[in-house]
Amino acid sequence: MEQKNPIANPLIVLREEFDDWAILFDPDTGNAFGLNPTGVFIWKHLDGKHGVEDIVKSLRDEAEDVPEDAGEHARQFIASLEQQGLVGYEVIAGSPA
Amino acid sequence: MRLMRTPKKVDIAITNRCNLRCRYCYHFEGPGDTGEDLPAEEWLRFFEELNRSAVTEVTLAGGEPFIREDLKEIIDGIVKNRMRFQLLSNGTLIDDNMAAFLASTRRCNFVQVSIDGSMPDSHDAMRGRGSFAKALEGLMTLRRHGVRAAVRVTIHRKNVHDLEGVAKLLLEDIGLSSFGTNSAGAMGLCRKNAEIVQLTTEDRIYAMETLLRLNKKYNDRINAMAGPLAEAKGWLDMEEARLGRKQLTSPVRGYLTGCGCFGQLLAVRADGVFTPCPMLSQIELGRINRDDLGEVWRNHEKLNVLRHRHQIPLSGFAFCEGCEYIDFCTGNCPGLSYSILGEVNHPSPDACLRKFLAEGGRLPDRALLC
Repeated sequence: MEQKNPIANPLIVLREEFDDWAILFDPDTGNAFGLNPTGVFIWKHLDGKHGVEDIVKSLRDEAEDVPEDAGEHARQFIASLEQQGLVGYEVIAGSPA
Repeated sequence: MRLMRTPKKVDIAITNRCNLRCRYCYHFEGPGDTGEDLPAEEWLRFFEELNRSAVTEVTLAGGEPFIREDLKEIIDGIVKNRMRFQLLSNGTLIDDNMAAFLASTRRCNFVQVSIDGSMPDSHDAMRGRGSFAKALEGLMTLRRHGVRAAVRVTIHRKNVHDLEGVAKLLLEDIGLSSFGTNSAGAMGLCRKNAEIVQLTTEDRIYAMETLLRLNKKYNDRINAMAGPLAEAKGWLDMEEARLGRKQLTSPVRGYLTGCGCFGQLLAVRADGVFTPCPMLSQIELGRINRDDLGEVWRNHEKLNVLRHRHQIPLSGFAFCEGCEYIDFCTGNCPGLSYSILGEVNHPSPDACLRKFLAEGGRLPDRALLC
């Protein structure tokens, strides 16, 4: 099946607090998840238009000393968001569920 | 103080109206009693700003929030704008239909219902005849529908000897996991009715000892942010610190550090005026849908002055001169200080341990602590 770009669940609130750190708040459960500045950067790019490679490329453009394995870390991070229902993938009409 | 970009929580007096006139109500005849209710449209527009500002939680109080005929529409607006909510209520207007609606939203943290006695005599003495039965019915209706119900017991002169009965009713008979207590504070109608409402020194001693004993009996299931139970715990700690047997670190002592609200929440009166807290409704910071929430929160001069009150040492107040507890005290609630003295940046005389002892008060036995 074709890999789609990840999309942030629009119900989730990104609450930016101190020094570019933030929390993701799920109003349906009341759960909150802490994000470091890199996590915030990735979250803001989860718009369905960017794949993980695009996001990591943008990150390298914006930040210094981005590690070699940043792509793998980003993939794991997005997978953990998906597990918690914070991120989904676009469903194309007519494609297998 | 590190300041968040926007408040996490907003406390809203959604109405000035109430079906009861409890004799110790802090709202009526207080500075928040503005007489004007905004239409739902104004609140719905404001909730959109709260959403954009990433506010996550709203408290609806009043007045009595369930008296608003358009409450469901207002709550729908909260849900639509990605927030959770809680309501503070006298419980008497909650019916099956409303409880089912609250449950259906899946966003209601809790509804706080005021239950002040184990029987009509002690509850109705200050809230009006018939209110006990209706409040209890409201509480049970919420529970039947799976809405989390929190109970607050306000202690006053007519129910102070019913605390044992209240604890049994709430924790044993109804089976709540816990309940909260406070006492009628010197605000709003309570100031006018102080002689029949507010606890005497003897009442306070009795309430502190009884609540500590009950809290031990029920395994710490009674809580308090203010009132006799909170005072008993706080004052025993201060005495231990005075004797050099305990260190009190958080909040910092010896300064006006008794309130942390100004870094967490913003309040809105029923007429739409921003205030720092529901207890400081006289301090006007702007108006919803006219002034930008984030701008008010971050930059309003009056709010930022309040945020620096923790730098004011108690040693600068004549009221505290010579007090042996001065290095262990926080000055307590600025709202009460304003209500009693007309000054926000002053220690509250209501929660002063030295004053309590000078008036014949005594601390409970430390062995009563959990």
